[in-house]
Amino acid sequence: MVNSNTSALGIIFPNSYDTLVPDLVNVRLMASIPFASRYRLIDFILSSMTHCGIDNISVLVNNNYHSLMDHLDSGREWDLVRKNGGLHIFPPFAEKSAKPYTGRVTALANILDFLRDEKEKYVVMTDTNVVVNFDFSDMIRAHIESGADVTVAYNQQELPEGLMKSLSNDQGYYYTFDMEDGRITKIYVNAKDSGVQNFSMNFYVVERELLIDLVNTAFVRGQEFFERDVLLPRLNKLNVRGYKYDGYVARICDMKSYFDENMKLLDEYNLDALFSGSQIYTKIRDDNPTRYIEGAKARNVMVADGCVIEGDVEDSVLFRGVKVAKGAKVKNCILMQDSVVEAGANIEYLIMDKNVTITAGKEMKGTGSFPVYIDKFQVV
Amino acid sequence: MAKEMIAMLLAGGQGSRLYALTEKLAKPAVPFGGKYRIIDFPLSNCVNSEIDTVGILTQYQPLVLNEYIGNGQPWDLDRLYGGVHVLPPYQKASGSDWYKGTANAIYQNISFIERYDPQYVIILSGDQICKQNYSDFLKFHKEKNAEFSVAVMEVPWEEASRFGLMVADEDDRITEFQEKPKDPKSNLASMGIYIFNWDILKKYLEEDEADPESDNDFGKNIIPNLLKDNRRMYAHHFSGYWKDVGTISSLWEANMEILDPEHSGINLFDEDWKIYSRNSGMTGHKISDGAVVENSMITDGCRIKGTVKHSILFAGVKVEKGAVLEDAVVMGGTVIKAGAVVKHCIVAENVTIGENAVVGAMPAGEENGVATVGAGVVIGNNAKVGPNAMVKNNVEGGEEVW
Repeated sequence: MVNSNTSALGIIFPNSYDTLVPDLVNVRLMASIPFASRYRLIDFILSSMTHCGIDNISVLVNNNYHSLMDHLDSGREWDLVRKNGGLHIFPPFAEKSAKPYTGRVTALANILDFLRDEKEKYVVMTDTNVVVNFDFSDMIRAHIESGADVTVAYNQQELPEGLMKSLSNDQGYYYTFDMEDGRITKIYVNAKDSGVQNFSMNFYVVERELLIDLVNTAFVRGQEFFERDVLLPRLNKLNVRGYKYDGYVARICDMKSYFDENMKLLDEYNLDALFSGSQIYTKIRDDNPTRYIEGAKARNVMVADGCVIEGDVEDSVLFRGVKVAKGAKVKNCILMQDSVVEAGANIEYLIMDKNVTITAGKEMKGTGSFPVYIDKFQVV
Repeated sequence: MAKEMIAMLLAGGQGSRLYALTEKLAKPAVPFGGKYRIIDFPLSNCVNSEIDTVGILTQYQPLVLNEYIGNGQPWDLDRLYGGVHVLPPYQKASGSDWYKGTANAIYQNISFIERYDPQYVIILSGDQICKQNYSDFLKFHKEKNAEFSVAVMEVPWEEASRFGLMVADEDDRITEFQEKPKDPKSNLASMGIYIFNWDILKKYLEEDEADPESDNDFGKNIIPNLLKDNRRMYAHHFSGYWKDVGTISSLWEANMEILDPEHSGINLFDEDWKIYSRNSGMTGHKISDGAVVENSMITDGCRIKGTVKHSILFAGVKVEKGAVLEDAVVMGGTVIKAGAVVKHCIVAENVTIGENAVVGAMPAGEENGVATVGAGVVIGNNAKVGPNAMVKNNVEGGEEVW
């Protein structure tokens, strides 16, 4: 490692907040939820990390991770096939007492030996439900300059309704905080306050040695949650600082926000805000370009490669390999990979998972406040 | 371990008849079909036919091509033993030579071929759009117990004299070879794709090299010599889509034919015979409210606000409001500004076409030229590029080029 003083390794928690979108994670996890016509949520974090020279990345998978393994494969698409570092996937270690991870602490405790062996000075930890094109180098720089023990990225926004509604205390946690001169003085768990809050993105920078210490201590005491059990009680001892992020943030908090955040990208201002930074890598499928056949109509749509469009599509996001047959009408829909809308079908406000087929002539409509979700491989 | 068959891909062609498009890159690197380059076709054919060792012979402007091929990973040709290798001419102890002809290019790489100790070598050409199963071709070669086989296409008799023709008996054995003859005795055109038994190929390459009079060319020298010696030579009939995209009009035509896979024969939407390429990695394309897209192919990164009819757009093309495209092939990264009219033409990569500029025109009567704009050119506002124009340099605002 040429510059090990500023080097960092990445740790990703791909199952965080799975409970927010139970339908979408039925056969997958948060990290592998399709987003923005050709990506999976984890692509944004992975690409952001590799662009910042973080090329030793561990993904601590907990359950339902087959789709993620398939997506990540060797990590080549993110340039993570490395002799030193590269991509590591850590499932829970299988022994008699093996249980899925309950919180960050239990997950990290599982890889303490690995962490001890690594060379990087810092650790960057993230979830995957926050979609950003993020500059981790700048956050690490801020962490070093401020002399913080732990730096947490946050943005300022109102708390999403979906999050407040769906997260009860036994399902998981989100965090807001009070700050003084950049130092976090108070952490609130599952706050219900209205108005703009300092809302944690759960991106952390911390020195590797310190993290090992903190996790070790907490784990021995049977504690599970990094924020609630490790940071919160130590706010007076540890210098925990906030790193304010002003860039484009899309948070997946429930089905509605998943729908809305996809649709928001139809506005070019948002699309540019998310994608004009460094390139977001994803798995390559080698689809042909999308074909618009005579008679096709498309207005205000984002469409990936491999689609064949003969019908009428409007205000929608189409993933790779979608087919819309003649006379079909698609409005305000998210159609995931390889879904098919047969001739004359008429659909509105649907979220169609992979390989769904709407048969000829069928009509199906959700509403803006309640988009209807159709599970993988269903035939309607 | 020996390989049964390896491929040698001739990619050194300058493609001078593509003019402005091949100023800075070799013909096989010319973009095609929205997200491909010409060389993706033979490379994908190889990997789909389970040929895992390909030597690519480059010579003219190899930079783009070399970078594009890289380690061959997009075609699954990054292999421990074999894989794709770019083979430019190189200096030897006894001097150096450019590749003098197609046969000489292979001759200079005999040592490359011998590393794999193949039984058969297939010679491919890097300037054709074609989906062909080379393992079927090899099966034919073995069944006929041939020493040399060539892939042939039946062409209309009236066009036969434009091609190199194979005259064959009812068993497909070749009895005569005619190079662009006035009186064709056959309508079986050579596609320039050959399978040789390696021992035979090596022998004839060495003999050809020793002949100072030779042009060191497969068509002119090697094939006639094989015939003279009464070798077992067979013609393998191919009936799928095949197009030599050596000229501007044939390149344009081949692109347009993709828009009509039901009739033209080239089907890129074939899950069983994918064409692989190096991907742009851009986001999905965006079609705005008010845009019109009809009968076109659009790929990642495009932003369409204007009207696009019967056209092929490559990655990252921007069509601003009020711009109109028809019968156009527009390569990656090009920006077409508001009100510009772009028709019946090929626009290369990273071109800017200014506001209200006019490029090309739909055919009218005898006039059916395909206007061509070279890579990186800037066409000024209100400029006009005529249907026969070949633009390599920037065109000032208001200027006209014919």
